[in-house]
Amino acid sequence: MRSKRFQVLAERPVNKDGFVAEWPEVGLIAVDSPNDPKPSIKIENGKIVEMDGKKREDFDMIDQFIADYAIDVEMAEKAMKMDSLEIARMLVDINVPREEVVKIASGLTPAKLVEVVKMLNVVEIMMAIQKMRARKRPGNQCHVTNLRDNPVLLAADAAEAALRGFDEEETTVGITRYAPFNALALLIGSQTGRGGVLTQCALEESFELSIGMRGFTSYAETISVYGTEQVFVDGDDTPWSKAFLASAYASRGLKMRFTSGTGSEVQMGYAEGKSMLYLETRCAMIAKGAGVQGLQNGSISCIGVPGAVPSGIRIVAAENLITTMLDLEVASGSDQTFSHSDIRRTARTLLLMLPGTDLIFSGYSAVPNYDNMFAGSNFDIEDVDDYLALQRDLMVDGGLRPVTEEEVIAVRNKAARALQAVFKKLGLPPITDEEVEAATYAHGSKDMPLRDVNEDLKAATELMNRGVHGLDIVKALAESGFTDVAENIFNMLKQRVAGDYLHTSAVLDKDFNIDSAVNNPNDYMGPGTGYRLSAERWEEIKNIPQALKPEDFDK
Amino acid sequence: MIDEKALEEIVRQVLEELGSKKQEAKVETKKDEGLDPARDFPLSKKRPELLKSATGKKFTEITFEEALKGNISAEDFRISPETLLMQAEIAEKVGRKQFANNLRRAAELTRVPDERILEIYNALRPYRSTKEELLAIADELQHKYNAPMCAAFIREAAEVYERRRRLKGME
Repeated sequence: MRSKRFQVLAERPVNKDGFVAEWPEVGLIAVDSPNDPKPSIKIENGKIVEMDGKKREDFDMIDQFIADYAIDVEMAEKAMKMDSLEIARMLVDINVPREEVVKIASGLTPAKLVEVVKMLNVVEIMMAIQKMRARKRPGNQCHVTNLRDNPVLLAADAAEAALRGFDEEETTVGITRYAPFNALALLIGSQTGRGGVLTQCALEESFELSIGMRGFTSYAETISVYGTEQVFVDGDDTPWSKAFLASAYASRGLKMRFTSGTGSEVQMGYAEGKSMLYLETRCAMIAKGAGVQGLQNGSISCIGVPGAVPSGIRIVAAENLITTMLDLEVASGSDQTFSHSDIRRTARTLLLMLPGTDLIFSGYSAVPNYDNMFAGSNFDIEDVDDYLALQRDLMVDGGLRPVTEEEVIAVRNKAARALQAVFKKLGLPPITDEEVEAATYAHGSKDMPLRDVNEDLKAATELMNRGVHGLDIVKALAESGFTDVAENIFNMLKQRVAGDYLHTSAVLDKDFNIDSAVNNPNDYMGPGTGYRLSAERWEEIKNIPQALKPEDFDK
Repeated sequence: MIDEKALEEIVRQVLEELGSKKQEAKVETKKDEGLDPARDFPLSKKRPELLKSATGKKFTEITFEEALKGNISAEDFRISPETLLMQAEIAEKVGRKQFANNLRRAAELTRVPDERILEIYNALRPYRSTKEELLAIADELQHKYNAPMCAAFIREAAEVYERRRRLKGME
């Protein structure tokens, strides 16, 4: 006979999640695989000739790239001699500034970085992230997509997301040929909601670069790197091809970061029996060596893998920490559905939201789950009032701000009309007033009238063939009376001439001021230092519209 | 996940139209402009007079008003090698060596047309090129585009790909 208690428990959301025991041979282990190498380094004539127990002649591509580009040889000898426990304690010691840890970390091998970080418990990992995040102010990124690639809805959702406070917005497509419209709708929508929001369209590498070159996007992120050579090659790249791509982006004045995450090597079948954290540390060091300013990690689309093993979620936060120790911007994941349990998914996010990262989510779904074309996110738009309540309960800056229904309706309507005007000017398939109205009040794509997809796709391809540039969008908006939106997009284009926003952790405020690790570095050294809520920002977080005020009780 | 052929076709067409103009070759020297990150960054606000686009237009002359008058072209939004080198100097001075070197390679690549950049990227993917083909690209970067750092980087890739058997025909 079955226990009624256990029958109830079996029905709980958490028991719909997958859990597995550790299985080191296939890499199903968060950290400390028996096959993980032990830290070591040998340097001859300024060159690393042995790293983590492997001789130079046996180096695979990744070993060589890390040894020659990622590790500061001048620091290495001294740093590698330090006791790992001592370095681990420096990470949480408020008297040791971030710069000092960054300097030491620049001389560490992958195995040594893992050995340091694994000594931290989860609270210490959070303390260390709070100090090691590169930019002083934490920020947030969102996904804006929909099931039908409806451009009017994308523009409205992008505008609302910008109003809600996201620093960056990312879109992708259901149908690839829709990409130019998606990028265009995101650009116009975001700049209607708030000037200065950075936008990207996640697609195949070459296409992503070309769409950035023509001013439809302002940064890129989905440039994937992997921790074993076989998986890297299966992903059709090498550290050299990806590093070349990084320079290509910068040569066009476009911000970019790499992407990686624990579990990808297991998922692709070549983990070489190594632990997830060890392999992910190699990825972070490839990013460092290539000279990109930042990395999106935190397991990303493979979160189900570390999420299933013991200590997996702790290790996912540890990989974000290692990224910050390498002095890189971190866009810290939390961007895919990993659990049916609201409790588990909240706990997973708190590890990053409480200490704060450059981009806490990468991204938060600014649309309903069914419209999220990145296979869902850990939090979506239906959780937004919970998220705002968490900011308020815990007095934490999660990067978002409360908004009123009136202002959301107004900004969605304006974005939809701006896109309507641009479509008209550019001779694209018309956007009807009915569509504008629907997008203004919509929750998701189910609330939108259907568009003629074939006509849209034809026009999207033609838009690319015609060589339409961001500057043409600026003119179309200005000629249609959307001068403020036009000027915002102009200012986004202008960023690429100056190159300031190429720097580590750079984002822009509404007046196009750069907020980055260069001019606003994290100086956390305990209470009273580092990022603190300003009085103004705390007022904003406190004042959720649902809160009753004294005057509401007056008779 | 995507129809690669169609995509490549689109990209090719776009890039042909963008048709980046070949510019006079100059060597990227590591000359120090005496920039101070604390005082001069962001350059767009603190030192705008130092900046110009790849077309030679002054940053301060790239204004919304001028754009509406039709006095700004899409090409005027291209970053110049000089600006990238100044940003590299800032990066170096805040301790970011690797990032600074990436910006220096980028300064060299400003001279390489969009289409050629994408072709070289594809040639660097595993099993795409023979060693000779990669070395030819390195020579092209060195001599045609005056991009010695990038050339050395490609030569190194050729060696690594040979040792790790990732050249064309080695699959």
